[in-house]
Amino acid sequence: MNTAVDLAGLRLRNPVMPASGCFGFGREYAEFYPLSCLGAVVTKAITGSGRRGNPTPRVTETDGGMLNSIGLANPGVDAVLCDELPWLRQQGVPIIANAAGSTVDEYCEVVDKLSRSGLVDAVELNVSCPNVETGGLSFGVDPDILCQLVTAVRPLCTVPLIVKLSPNTTDITAAAGAAAAAGADALSLINTLVGMAIDVKTRRPILARGVGGYSGPGIKPVALRMVYQTVKSVNIPVIGMGGIRTGIDAIEFIMAGAAAVSVGTANFTQPDACVVIVREIEEFMRQEGIGCLEEIRGCAL
Amino acid sequence: MRATLTLQVIRHQCIADGIYELTLDGRGLIDSVDPGQFLHILVGSGDVHVLRRPISIAEFDRGILRIVFRVVGAGTRWLSKQYEGALLDVLGPQGRGFPLPSSVSRGLIVGGGIGVPPLLELAKRLAHRGVELDVILGFPAKAHAFYSDEFASFGTVHMVTEDGSLGTQGIVTDVVRNLHAEHSLSWSHFFACGPHGMLAGLQTYFRDQDIDGYLSLEERMGCGLGACQGCVCETKGLLNRRVCTDGPVFNWREVVL
Repeated sequence: MNTAVDLAGLRLRNPVMPASGCFGFGREYAEFYPLSCLGAVVTKAITGSGRRGNPTPRVTETDGGMLNSIGLANPGVDAVLCDELPWLRQQGVPIIANAAGSTVDEYCEVVDKLSRSGLVDAVELNVSCPNVETGGLSFGVDPDILCQLVTAVRPLCTVPLIVKLSPNTTDITAAAGAAAAAGADALSLINTLVGMAIDVKTRRPILARGVGGYSGPGIKPVALRMVYQTVKSVNIPVIGMGGIRTGIDAIEFIMAGAAAVSVGTANFTQPDACVVIVREIEEFMRQEGIGCLEEIRGCAL
Repeated sequence: MRATLTLQVIRHQCIADGIYELTLDGRGLIDSVDPGQFLHILVGSGDVHVLRRPISIAEFDRGILRIVFRVVGAGTRWLSKQYEGALLDVLGPQGRGFPLPSSVSRGLIVGGGIGVPPLLELAKRLAHRGVELDVILGFPAKAHAFYSDEFASFGTVHMVTEDGSLGTQGIVTDVVRNLHAEHSLSWSHFFACGPHGMLAGLQTYFRDQDIDGYLSLEERMGCGLGACQGCVCETKGLLNRRVCTDGPVFNWREVVL
């Protein structure tokens, strides 16, 4: 039995990776299991300068999941290259660096520095963060603007370029098509759905910013549908994510055509969620007599 | 490698209105706890409640832990129904607790509401070293008050309630001012945990004084491990610090409340 996958030229030992923002730069989870058990590590979003992010509360549980409005808090690309990635590089796992910005220039700076560093195996372009005023989502929902951004960063990116798409749009396949046409090597989806929760005692939104990104098991049907639609509409690989917490959830995404999967919120529930999911995928393959994931990839299309 | 732990509830007690104490058996699993550390506790199987709940450790004695929490929502309501024999999936002890500086000559401990529990282990450790302690515990009303007897073994306890139903009427900073200004007490260190407004009030009160102090902060948490950046507090530095792992205890001059 072989769980390895090929993702836009990256060879992953299995299809499971943490979702950006749910895993920091890996240090905290490396205390629970060797990161080399993962297919890849996807870093927290990295911007040009350090950012504090939004005021707190910026996380809260809600039915079927949670809301976050972290707001791209990170120490900035130079600090990440100096303090985080050299350590992560030694963990024996491919690194996918998530890059974000407020302007095209900032995206270009971050992608260029990451790409030149030789410390990352791929870049994931974050054009779908719902928690910042400028950048993030504003680049992800308009296919023309997305196309301009991907076109600008593409020549700077010497490693595979993955574009992470937002579900907060009428037709995700339009954004997918634009990213692919502009030269993306792969897509990842979905980012969080914009949502909110209100504290009826204080009569105010629970999150300080009012709204945030909804993630967790509740979004899985939406995510699965969007992966299914996107796989049918583009010819580049898709990393599927949204509410995955078991190996069977991951198998559903693979059957919908995902090349690999990301696990987000489940890492907060159980710190070893990713490795449990890898084990459950293997168990399913054994039970069903599946030799490699290519046998079932996209079988539900 | 670290792992989550399974701890058995060996005692369940409602100690005040909406406040519960669970005693957990951590023998053979947890060797030591710093005062102010917390457990990050899974609610049910995690299928419905995806986020763990950070609950402070009130006391640790040879592997036996007491945790105290207030029922505020569905997660803590579930926790309040875990009786003797129930098994809890916990991460921890988590966080950086209160330091125990050797220079403490006389200490002031200030707790407000559900901020009181993590100060108990601290009071115990300081008292065992022979440090003289003044303890101020504030609650909304008598029905919500707890642990005054426990603290009485370790220092002089001053109770204060907002409605005056127990001890002095007012808020904890009123008592601090009274002891300090009118009774001429002074302290080398203060240690506090409680609502944001209470901590900010102490910061303001001690602003111009030569005193060391530590504040334990409460914040809504995600991973509880330091990865997600959910539970941060603003500091005088360029970036925020994480309540779950850089804290929950911070030097009082460092945090911006």
